[in-house]
Amino acid sequence: MVEDRSNLGDLRVGVALLLRVIMRYQGVVAISILGAMIWMAMILSIPYLVGTIIDLVVTRSGMSEVWPLLGLLLIAGSIQAVGISLRRFFGFKLSYRAEADLRNDIFTHIQRMAFSFHDVTSTGALMARASSDLSQLRLILAMTPITVANLVMFFVVTAVLIVIDPVLGLTASLMVPALLYTSGRFAGRVVGFSFDLQERLSQLSHVVEETVAGIEVVKSYGQEAHQQRRLDREAETIYDAAIGMAKQRAIHRPLFEIIPALGTVAVLAVGGIRVLDGAMTFGEFVAFMQYLAVMVLPLLITGWFFANLPRAAAAAARIDELLSTAPDIQEPDHPERLRSGPGEVRFNHVSFAYPDGTAVLSDVNLTIPGGTSVGLVGATGAGKSTIAHLIPRFYDVSSGSITIDGVDVRELSLDELRHEVSVVFQESYLFSASIAENIRVGDPMASDDSVRSAARLAKAHDFICGFPDGYETVVGERGSTLSGGQRQRVSLARGVVRDPRVLILDDATSSVDAIVEAEIQTALAQVMAGRTTVIIAHRTSTLALVDNVAFIEDGALVAFGPHDELLATVPRYAAVLAAQVIV
Amino acid sequence: MKYMSSAGEYNVEKPGTLIARAARLAPELRRPFAAAVAVTFVATIIRLLGPLVIREGIDGGIVAGDRQTILLAAAVYIGLLGLQYIADGLSQWMVALVGERYLVRLRSVVFAKLMRLDAGFYSRSKSGVLVSRMTSDIESLQEFASDGAVMALSNTLTVVGVAVALGVVDWQMALAVFAVVAVLVGVSAVFQRQARRAYDQVRERIGRVLAMLQEGITGVRVVQAFTQEQAQASTFGRVNERYFEANMAAARAISWYFPVVAFLRVVALGSALAIGASRVMDGTMTIGTLVAFLLYLEWFFQPIINLSNVYNLLQSALAALAKLFGLMDEPVVIDDRPGAYDLTEPVVGAVELDAVSFSYDPGTLVLDGVSLKVGAGERLAIVGETGSGKSTIAKLIMRFYDPDAGRVTVDGDDLRDITERSRVDALALIPQDGFLFSGTLRENIAYSDSSASDESVWNVLRAMGIDDWVRSLPEGLDTEVRERGGRFSAGERQLVALARAFLFDPSIIVLDEATSNLDPETEVQVEGALRVLLAGRTSIVIAHRLRSAERSDRVVMIDAGRVIAVGTHTELVESSPRYRELVEVWQRGTK
Repeated sequence: MVEDRSNLGDLRVGVALLLRVIMRYQGVVAISILGAMIWMAMILSIPYLVGTIIDLVVTRSGMSEVWPLLGLLLIAGSIQAVGISLRRFFGFKLSYRAEADLRNDIFTHIQRMAFSFHDVTSTGALMARASSDLSQLRLILAMTPITVANLVMFFVVTAVLIVIDPVLGLTASLMVPALLYTSGRFAGRVVGFSFDLQERLSQLSHVVEETVAGIEVVKSYGQEAHQQRRLDREAETIYDAAIGMAKQRAIHRPLFEIIPALGTVAVLAVGGIRVLDGAMTFGEFVAFMQYLAVMVLPLLITGWFFANLPRAAAAAARIDELLSTAPDIQEPDHPERLRSGPGEVRFNHVSFAYPDGTAVLSDVNLTIPGGTSVGLVGATGAGKSTIAHLIPRFYDVSSGSITIDGVDVRELSLDELRHEVSVVFQESYLFSASIAENIRVGDPMASDDSVRSAARLAKAHDFICGFPDGYETVVGERGSTLSGGQRQRVSLARGVVRDPRVLILDDATSSVDAIVEAEIQTALAQVMAGRTTVIIAHRTSTLALVDNVAFIEDGALVAFGPHDELLATVPRYAAVLAAQVIV
Repeated sequence: MKYMSSAGEYNVEKPGTLIARAARLAPELRRPFAAAVAVTFVATIIRLLGPLVIREGIDGGIVAGDRQTILLAAAVYIGLLGLQYIADGLSQWMVALVGERYLVRLRSVVFAKLMRLDAGFYSRSKSGVLVSRMTSDIESLQEFASDGAVMALSNTLTVVGVAVALGVVDWQMALAVFAVVAVLVGVSAVFQRQARRAYDQVRERIGRVLAMLQEGITGVRVVQAFTQEQAQASTFGRVNERYFEANMAAARAISWYFPVVAFLRVVALGSALAIGASRVMDGTMTIGTLVAFLLYLEWFFQPIINLSNVYNLLQSALAALAKLFGLMDEPVVIDDRPGAYDLTEPVVGAVELDAVSFSYDPGTLVLDGVSLKVGAGERLAIVGETGSGKSTIAKLIMRFYDPDAGRVTVDGDDLRDITERSRVDALALIPQDGFLFSGTLRENIAYSDSSASDESVWNVLRAMGIDDWVRSLPEGLDTEVRERGGRFSAGERQLVALARAFLFDPSIIVLDEATSNLDPETEVQVEGALRVLLAGRTSIVIAHRLRSAERSDRVVMIDAGRVIAVGTHTELVESSPRYRELVEVWQRGTK
């Protein structure tokens, strides 16, 4: 699922994207870093104040000298609080804003990418770009301001400690690399394990989903024990991953306390003797301990930051790659307008091959007179769908051209072209929305009346009215389930609601049973009347409705003419059709 | 609804009941758990000894001017740290072992229960919700087990230990600190409430973002076909912005809480110093004690903050447990009754419905006194419109449900009197979509018997005339079918389902015929395979096409839950006008 491509090139690209994002929100970043700096300055002043107070105590200087310092301590505490607030709030704002904006960019980009891109890109990969990859980016961004301040702080503290006492300062500062290393190592390992764990969790959920979906088969074959074994196996692998992670925690986490404590021991032993020797004051000794304590959390966070940076950079690089891929289908610079006309569609010497070189159509010449219907017939893989998909420019022809009423489809704006050419797909995809909204996808401005009449035309009105919520019934993944035939009729209604000049039906009645199809047939006849229609169908009953049939074999147009005529004159046509009525 | 769910008996308001029941689930883990607690306790004690050693080093060494004592204290402290490393590591490790072992058990038990529940339960519940019991609910327990449990345990012990230590070191100073801590606890409670609300909203809204994202990707072709890209993008932008706002609400809560905590820390430090300074100057306290006190203070605040985070994890873990126990308490409706017996072997395969009535929801009869006989070895087609009740008949024969009235018998025995095992062996269902499990083709065909030899699988394939098809696949029987058989066509999935049933060799087959068009070549293969499979077996076919009805020995036409015609195809064409109508529709579609 998550490919680990944290190589150097990615790192550079990824960090470059991170920097670009940071520059885009420089105001927010600046305030957050300012807050972090204030926080850091105060957190450094507090051990100093404590040390000074302790010295006053040791010298029995009296409380009157202590009180002002305690006052200063409280003031430092309040300023520190303001610093933390600024740092946190604007750090979050940076990360969430950048995440939201990038997610919008990704979504918009995905919407614009052409069919050829989606044919070869998995949903899972795109989802990962806009979810897990973005989260990694966000976490790193949120931690960037505090890391800047932390790095400054380690430098300053080390310097201060060395100035107070060079020997002890150097000894105690050993804690910095030790803790950074441990925390980085731990974060690095745990990240690996947690990806692994996620992967295994999703495998287990896959077994559960499958069992729930196939429960009738499981029960029918009495295979509960078999499914149980599969699940128990997955549960065991989750156990292994979780325990592997626990082992890392057991090894590393105690060190997060032990290493600073060792620093304290060093202060006690070395510092104690220095105090006895008069080389440092007791207050300085206590301040040392406090400085070490103050640095622990920042060190852990910084270790985490650098351990996760390569992964976040790799995620950023993947996002960058997606966003910088241009869509194959481009709008013309100066679009022409479609002339008013009957909707004549003409293929002129059209050839088409997929980007990988697979040739699908070769030199197709086809004229569909305006207002007439044509049925595309051919064996699976002959190129029927491709012919249909070239008209609304889901793909562009490799050579030749396609015109509608004399205008090349590539000269039209996509908006106008696809408004005039309506497609009903074989897979009737419905959105998680009401039926009315799903039909309105075809024409957002459609009135209630035209939604209803489109549904009537598609023979969907009656079953829609049978639902308690009628047209407001929510369908799709999060709503109630429609049967295959019902879905197809809703998408048929969606295709006709805008009253398109050209209608393309891509095998749109394949998953309805004969009874329903018989109903749709009458609907189709109405829909097709006087409209240019291209229809891919397996059933001969549909072919009885069309004016002409285009018979396709191996990417070439073999014959064109009325159904009866082809039956009589083209033996191959009769043969292919015969294969279809075997049922 | 027919069966009321008993969920709700357990809820988060009664954590005691929940935890007691949770403990009953894995009694063998009680001892290891007690051991883990003991080790954690030891680790905490060792940790608390540290500052006391430092106090000795300061008072007995630095103040008294004794180098030996300073070095001795340092040596003792190092020794303690060694012990602490072992004890801490062990505690982390043991708590995780117990927690993760418990989760393995829980997953297994819940899943077993899920599979025992009946079809009625499945049709009432959304499959997504069922899956989430096994995934997100148990995962929130996992989160608690892997992180929360250790934290809860060690931080609680630390807080109690430090409080005691502070009191022992100096109770007046301790009281001042406790006052500050009381404020901290109050502030944390307010924050947790706020954060919980905010994060609930974050979770809900990220769900919407992801759902819409998924839809935008899977539906992208439709979106582009109707040039809805901009509309989609702006709808998505709105949903996404709402998620941003929810995140910022959480950020606002965090951005006031942590500064306040940091300030309170300084206040505690200041008051300890104020009291300590005057006491040391009075001579009523040693300087070493003051330093030890300051060190303890560091360990007082972080655990309390940690605990308030753990509280959140605990809440969602308890909520998840309540839901899981609700599922565990669902009654098992279809089960062996006392005294259930096996069918007499060999099973002849005579199926009868005797005045069967059934409803999914009370008040809406789906089947109304249906009586029907299927002779041994007979092929019966059930036809009727969508919603007529024909699939329900199939489900009752499979005993996915029990009838409300009347009885369903096999070889004269009421299904309710027969053992599950015996019934399962006698009957097999072939669902509409064939249903493939992820795995290889071999695993799918030999689903009923994973020990079946390759030879017997090939025999089945040969007998059904589909061995050539399997051979033509790149990896033959080892071909991975991918998710839900995505790489195969509908017809090919049917073939696999038929082969699976053939290998299982039941006496009775219930076949729900596919409605969708198969490509012509596969259609021929399916027909051939079906002929082989059904030969010599009793079969009940939910028919969607003319040819199936024609090939059956008899046809039953169902309308609105009643049998309206029974007979051979030819008889019905003559005697039943309704059947004739149906046949005409079929003919228009195919000829």
